[in-house]
Amino acid sequence: MIFMADEKKEEVKTQHADKIFQDFKEHSVADFFKKNKQMLGLSGKIKTMTTIVHEFVTNSIDACEAAGILPDLEVKINELGSEHYEIIIQDNGPGIPKKNVGQALGKLLAGTKFHKLIQARGQQGIGASGAIMFAQMSTGKPSVVESGTNKEHYTVEVGIDTKNNEPKLGEMKDLTTAFKGTKIRCQFKDIVYRKGESSPMEYLRRTAIANPHCSIKFRDPLGETFEFHRASKDIPPLPIEVQPHPRGATIDELLSMAKYSQSRKTAGFLKNDFDRMGDKAIDEIQKMVEFDLNKDPKKLSWEEAEQIIKAFKKINFIAPRTDILRPIGEERLEKSLKKIVEPEYFAVITRKPAVYQGYPFQVEVAVLYGGKAGRDNEGTETGKAIEIMRFANLAPLLFESGGCAITKAANAVEWKRYGIKDPETAPLTVLVNLVSVHIPYTGAGKTAITDEEEVFEELKLALMDAGRKISHFLTGKRVAAEKEQKRKTFLKYATEVAIALSELTGEKKEMLEKKLHELVLKRLKLEEEMSDDELRELKATEKAAQKEAWNEDDDKEEE
Amino acid sequence: MGKRPEITTDKDVQKKMVDTGQNIANQIKRGDNPAITLPVRNLNNVYFDKESKTIKLGDKTSQRQFLNIAHVRKFMQTTLVANEVNKVLAEKATVSIRDLYYAMKHTIPGTQEESFSGQEESDPLIEDLEAALDLLRENMNLIATPKGRIAGNLQVKDGKDIIDATKMGSSGWAIPSNVEPEKIEIKNVDAEYILFIEKFAVWNRFNEDAFWKKNKCLIVTSNGQPARAERRLVQRLQVEHGIPTYCLMDADPWGMYIYSVIKQGSISLSYSEDRLANPTSKYIGLTISDVEKFKIPKEVTIKLNQGDLARIKQMKDYEWFKKKEWQQELDLMKEKGFKLELEALSRKRIRFITEEYVPQKIKNNDFLP
Repeated sequence: MIFMADEKKEEVKTQHADKIFQDFKEHSVADFFKKNKQMLGLSGKIKTMTTIVHEFVTNSIDACEAAGILPDLEVKINELGSEHYEIIIQDNGPGIPKKNVGQALGKLLAGTKFHKLIQARGQQGIGASGAIMFAQMSTGKPSVVESGTNKEHYTVEVGIDTKNNEPKLGEMKDLTTAFKGTKIRCQFKDIVYRKGESSPMEYLRRTAIANPHCSIKFRDPLGETFEFHRASKDIPPLPIEVQPHPRGATIDELLSMAKYSQSRKTAGFLKNDFDRMGDKAIDEIQKMVEFDLNKDPKKLSWEEAEQIIKAFKKINFIAPRTDILRPIGEERLEKSLKKIVEPEYFAVITRKPAVYQGYPFQVEVAVLYGGKAGRDNEGTETGKAIEIMRFANLAPLLFESGGCAITKAANAVEWKRYGIKDPETAPLTVLVNLVSVHIPYTGAGKTAITDEEEVFEELKLALMDAGRKISHFLTGKRVAAEKEQKRKTFLKYATEVAIALSELTGEKKEMLEKKLHELVLKRLKLEEEMSDDELRELKATEKAAQKEAWNEDDDKEEE
Repeated sequence: MGKRPEITTDKDVQKKMVDTGQNIANQIKRGDNPAITLPVRNLNNVYFDKESKTIKLGDKTSQRQFLNIAHVRKFMQTTLVANEVNKVLAEKATVSIRDLYYAMKHTIPGTQEESFSGQEESDPLIEDLEAALDLLRENMNLIATPKGRIAGNLQVKDGKDIIDATKMGSSGWAIPSNVEPEKIEIKNVDAEYILFIEKFAVWNRFNEDAFWKKNKCLIVTSNGQPARAERRLVQRLQVEHGIPTYCLMDADPWGMYIYSVIKQGSISLSYSEDRLANPTSKYIGLTISDVEKFKIPKEVTIKLNQGDLARIKQMKDYEWFKKKEWQQELDLMKEKGFKLELEALSRKRIRFITEEYVPQKIKNNDFLP
């Protein structure tokens, strides 16, 4: 939450960041950046474009939420030349005070969220400052920031001194108009805008779905504008930060936590910096390790840390807190889905929180049928196919879908059992949001989720729950369609019968037809009032009657 | 079925059609679920009458209802048939059942559905009305396309024409669809038996060899499943002139079943078998045991398929196949696992069938009942 006008938090962050970047002194930040492009989600020209939008949008929403403001976002992308774009993003957040703008946007803070266990959209992304650095590296130009707080309204050019990882600010120009929020304008080269499933447009659409309290306007490079209106006026409660649960800790993590610990003894460090760690646990650990837990945590060796981790695995800790997770929520999700996907029917399921490897997590899914649900699939009868929307902590995942546990879980569901004949031709959208203080990504790119057993199981159960709900609807739909079919059948034959009888007997055709129509409607109403059992019985007699009506013709004359 | 009145005038038949329609119209006016009561014409409602030795229709009836999704199309079609038959009679015309089908065939307004999608939809409804209203197809001025042939010493009067079946060349006399006494008068016949041959090609062999002249018989073919006319004609020759019928069929379940239709009738026409069945008929062959008896080479036999085996099983359960000779014959076929076509006898010699097989069988009285 870089845009937050909370000085105390900023101080803590920058302090950490300084320490982190001490290690990179001999290299420039730019080098680090180049070498870790992939890790930062900036590989591939199309993907980079979407990642940049993601970073800005995430920061804006986080800032608004923290300040209790309903986010209004505007994203514009202009094509300036071949693989050369300008991206402009504006929010109505609290704004950035002049004195913080350099720290907030002109200094790379990668990794500062690393040991914080909190459900966050950005996770370990590059942040807005990373995007600004990328702009500078690809075009040589600083970005233009305009910000308005309650007190000031100004504009300034922001760049980064990549050698020292220090902000390079231009002249602050005060503006006199009233403005609250932040507007960033930057240019990029070596990126490409493409429509489709991994485009910024799709990213924003999905962001609007998972964040119904956001209003998002978008103008694409062709000048086309899209608007996703706010579906809910509730700002979701902020997630709560927790200390890591011992079950999830790794040696590397333990050591780096120890380095920044305020405690002077390892026992104190463990007790203060881990969740669910009591005196009893410390005593047990002491019995299992070969060194004194009074040791300075900063001096722990790899082997000693390993002994602690091994001890962690043997102790029965209380399960981690799960009340800190903030899913989208069934009600809110329903609102945005109705507004944006307009399905014929949908089911939303939020599972209870669960735990994997000491990390609390929670799964929510929505299965949508009909309307704008499903992705376009020309050449099929419906023109649609199953669309899988993946989210991690409310942020859309658009890449590496094949290797993602969510995709695998969605494909593992036997949709046929829920009345969906072939997902490849069904107007079906499956939405999955995984929330956790620690999303188990497959790799540094953080675009796909690994199939942790507990997570995978929850994903499947949630999808099956939603599938069952959908199947009730589809059954109902089929019954309604059958009834309509029946009505049409009776009525078309009624006219034929009326004509034939009228010719045969001289009775009035209109009278016969009208009476037959009345009979049909009366009959269908009667069937409607029947219970399921009665209907089943009726169907059985109709079938039997059908058999009887078809006289055996195995010895039919050839004539 | 009650006794059929001897003479049914067109007016009587028309009245039956109109009454049927009026009955339905009245039900509609009353707000009842309109229904037509029809005799059930399937295996569940036929029995083998031991006295007459024919298949007869039982007295089970079923309701064809308008408000039943499984019936409604047939219900509609039945009213169309009744109406069309009434029109045909009013115009004093005689039409084929194919004409009738085309006269009724149209696209149902507002749909892409046709009132009748094929003649196989309208033909059984005509039979339904025959059975329900105690009528013959001929009473409704309907005829089927004839395809039967006959040759031999038979002279008939057809309208004003005198036909001599000894002078009909290689094709024989084409049996007309209506052979009722009021249409076809048997003037003279001199034959000891009728040879009823399943296939036209085989009948052709017998005609070319003037078998009827040498053996003093009539030769008839139905070319497959017999139509009513062929069956009615041989029945009349039996009843009026005491001439027995011997049947010559393929040795397969289908050929044997055709024989049983000629002899005791079919399930779907069980309502009028008193006029069609010919219970004194006998089965000459082919039989499976002929293969050994006449030393027919094994190569000309055909292996039974799944359909044949299923049909054998079905036939064994029919009341009219319960005679022990037939049970044995069907068992033998199943055991040997092959069937045999009439043409297979040509493997012995082209004229083996006309010069040896049939004469020998008849001489030895070697028949199946």
